[in-house]
Amino acid sequence: MEKPIQDAWNTAYTRANEKTRRIVVDPITRLEGHGKIDIYLDENGDVDRAFFQVPELRGFEVFSIGRPAEDMPQITSRICGVCPTAHHMAATKALDDLYHVEPPPAAKKLRELIYNTFMLEDHALHVYILGGPDFIVGPDAPAAERNVVGVIGKVGLETGKRVIVMRKRLREIISYLGGKVIHPVFGLPGGVAKGIAPEDLPALREVAREGLEFARFTLQVFKDIVLTNDEYMKLITSYPYTHRTYYMGLVDDENRVNFYDGHIRVVNPNGEVFARFPARQYTDYVAEHVESWSYVRFSYLKPVGWTGFTDGFDSGIYAVAPLARLNAAEGMATPEAQKAYDEYFAALGHPVHYTLANHWARIVEMIFAAERIVELLDDPEITSKDIRTIPTAVPTEGFGVVEAPRGTLFHHYVTDERGIITKANLIVATQNNSARMAMSVEKAARGMIHNGVVNEGLLNKIEMAFRAYDPCHACATHSLPGQMPLVAYIHAPDGTIVQELRR
Amino acid sequence: MSSLPPAKIIVLGLGNDICGDDGIGIAAVRILRGMLDDACIAVEESSEAGLALVEILEGYDRALILDSIRTGTCPPGTIIEMDTAQFRRVIAPSPHYAGLPEVLDLAERLELRFPSDIRVLAMEVEDPYSIREGLTPCVAEALPRFVERARSILAELRDST
Repeated sequence: MEKPIQDAWNTAYTRANEKTRRIVVDPITRLEGHGKIDIYLDENGDVDRAFFQVPELRGFEVFSIGRPAEDMPQITSRICGVCPTAHHMAATKALDDLYHVEPPPAAKKLRELIYNTFMLEDHALHVYILGGPDFIVGPDAPAAERNVVGVIGKVGLETGKRVIVMRKRLREIISYLGGKVIHPVFGLPGGVAKGIAPEDLPALREVAREGLEFARFTLQVFKDIVLTNDEYMKLITSYPYTHRTYYMGLVDDENRVNFYDGHIRVVNPNGEVFARFPARQYTDYVAEHVESWSYVRFSYLKPVGWTGFTDGFDSGIYAVAPLARLNAAEGMATPEAQKAYDEYFAALGHPVHYTLANHWARIVEMIFAAERIVELLDDPEITSKDIRTIPTAVPTEGFGVVEAPRGTLFHHYVTDERGIITKANLIVATQNNSARMAMSVEKAARGMIHNGVVNEGLLNKIEMAFRAYDPCHACATHSLPGQMPLVAYIHAPDGTIVQELRR
Repeated sequence: MSSLPPAKIIVLGLGNDICGDDGIGIAAVRILRGMLDDACIAVEESSEAGLALVEILEGYDRALILDSIRTGTCPPGTIIEMDTAQFRRVIAPSPHYAGLPEVLDLAERLELRFPSDIRVLAMEVEDPYSIREGLTPCVAEALPRFVERARSILAELRDST
């Protein structure tokens, strides 16, 4: 099936230079990393095909080979300036597996504590800074207001300050346990490097309490601004933002959402369980499809197969990240999050196929993360000094999985008997979502560009389609952007530029 | 004679030192750290993005940011200077989350104590997308000039009133 599909896409691409008109949106605003959307219009000015392209980091595997596996939590945390903690934790768990060692309960709790703190902080950032402009400011607001300053204009100065202060305080918890956020020195095979001193608990609990208040407040902001606005709700549930795919997420023993540990659960487009497996079996379930027009590999469910960029039961395309996690689970492990989860599904049905509902799901997860932080800090074992099991076995092969803010993250290492890496593979969250995201871009373009009529508001709605996934492409690079952030070129059928839109 | 305390200055290198040319800002501040002996100048490096810059820059009077840039319009190794007035015109989709322009707007809006003079010194780079250590030859060759220029800007920032 792959060859004909690929040929079809390639043909469409070639036609861009012939009879189609082309719109280029490049690069994407507010995304971590540069991206480009090419939209090809036919002679009627309708969308022929749309391609979402991003540069991808290269060379990770080569970089890793020959290095001690123990360095991986530090190395991998440095490949991303956005979610270092997710890579650090996935790598640490892969080392547990590699060295066949089980961390003591307190070590697992400390890891879960730092991890939920990171999730809360990162999700808050997306809600207010990255995705917030679409929903808090409004999808049709002028571009100049669709940014963090616009968000503050809407929610108020005090709330703006609260976001900054809260993030800073949450990061202090991460720093307390792991040192610098970007280069955490925390996870070790079999445990963690540092515990919590009992005398420091009150201050940490105070931050946790504020974090929970902040998460509740964020849910209220979302309800007040988004859920009371019929136009937003129509947009969330509209056809261009709907795909009936499979969904993947980590769950605990009772099939409730867990960010740090558990089994990977996959549900089908009806929300029925399709698979439940440990990280070790990921290669039985996840395969990668390659397209000539993209650097990105498209993950799909191996048992279902690749049938092109299409949804439904017969297509192996699946989603990860908040929307998918809630769909793939049967509930939340904390009371207020469970309540928010119930409200969410009562409003949108089960499973939720609306891409833009990711924003709401993200806030449900913020409540869970915040409650879990409180629970963990109230756990008497959290100050235990038994935080490391020293590995003694010969290393072989290790698998680690966590739920990054942007979805399921796999780390897989193979080493020689000295623990030197001979093979390394990462499947990052955004790659798991890449096929669905490509579909979202094309569908949004089809639904919102007709007869060659294109305006900036419409382009923003196309961007909204993938921004909801909170994608993170080429995440390690920090270079300043060298171009105007958003440029749309509209080409006449003969290839000449007839219109140019800039932000 | 003024009795005002000296201005607090930060020089901040941004980038990722295991991501090829992306690490140019980090490489530069690591050299500067060994050259500067001025209690008024803090030398910092960061691989973080976006809002982390708010936390790093808050509390300083003047700032110099060293970073890589990809314009595609000049050869790798070209040194580009910007002040914030120029920078604000580029409403950037930077990998730094919100981007420096939005960070600046945010700080102003939230009435944070933020540097009144922020300079950006960037070098056009060749490959910031590969995970590897070390700089490409053109960028490595331009590094001493980059550092020298940073030093003279810091001297200007220190001496300006």
